[in-house]
Amino acid sequence: MITLAILLTGVGSYAMRAFFIFALARYAFPPLLLRALEYVAPTVMAALVISMLTTPEGELAAGLPELLGLICAAFAAKTTGNHILALIAGMGTFWLIGAII
Amino acid sequence: MNTAPVRPAIQGSLDALPLFIPALPFAFVFGVVVAEAGIPEWLGWSSSPIIFGGAIQVTLFTLIGEGASVAAAVSAALIVGARHMLYSVTLAPRFQNQPGWFRWVGSYVLIDQVFVLSQIKPIEEPVAFRRYFLGAGFTFWTLWMISTALGVVLGPAIPPEWGVEFAAPVLFVSLMMAASDRRDKLAAAALAMAVTYLLASLPNRAGILIAVICSVAVMLLSQRWKSR
Repeated sequence: MITLAILLTGVGSYAMRAFFIFALARYAFPPLLLRALEYVAPTVMAALVISMLTTPEGELAAGLPELLGLICAAFAAKTTGNHILALIAGMGTFWLIGAII
Repeated sequence: MNTAPVRPAIQGSLDALPLFIPALPFAFVFGVVVAEAGIPEWLGWSSSPIIFGGAIQVTLFTLIGEGASVAAAVSAALIVGARHMLYSVTLAPRFQNQPGWFRWVGSYVLIDQVFVLSQIKPIEEPVAFRRYFLGAGFTFWTLWMISTALGVVLGPAIPPEWGVEFAAPVLFVSLMMAASDRRDKLAAAALAMAVTYLLASLPNRAGILIAVICSVAVMLLSQRWKSR
């Protein structure tokens, strides 16, 4: 049963990734749709951040260390454009504030 | 600053490496979930090449561990991964001038980080785009195979009180900033955060997809409003 579940999920997740790449292979994208797609990357990343910081019941599972950590990471990412530096800034702030309070 | 041109496949591989660091603690979380669900290590690990999607794999085994039916566990896992359909639409224009085999292989490694890299570094030239995409994708793939194997064997190797899982939202904030090269994109991201929070209690994180679609629609409406 577990094998079946893994196989079904594998087929399903591959199909979700491949579907539009194949379905729209010869489709002429109208400018409006192309403009809409420019927003997909920033909005999905934003939505993922919030979903990682909330419980399945919908409550925020983040305190001051998390909040300040994310702000510092965002600032470091914007100013340096370097993900490693953003990670160091975010985790550093998170651990530092967590140790103080 | 090194100005020598780097081959696209190697560049893709190098760009993927730092993004993998936060996936490492996640691979150990995965190992714990497999152990707690009472699934043999090799069977749990087989989901890495078959599914290749961290959150999808963790959701599937969490629900199986809780005694959910196959249908319920599979559908919940697929809803968690539904955002990949948006990646598929977004990348469809870039895959149009590509050979058929790349559509098959490229779809297999289309994960969050590879998608964002392809958006942050738009490469016009088809061959370079393909090599960059595959370089990043298969670097991630190889590292995920190794680290989930370690994860299922070692399990909880990192003390939970360190909070290393927080690296994941930190990375995604960094990716969000990199993908927001215009103010309106940043505004769209902020809106998506607010909507996701409001919808956070929806089952299987369905709020992610709704928040993205709402935010994109609002941005298009505001573009139209401004152009009048």
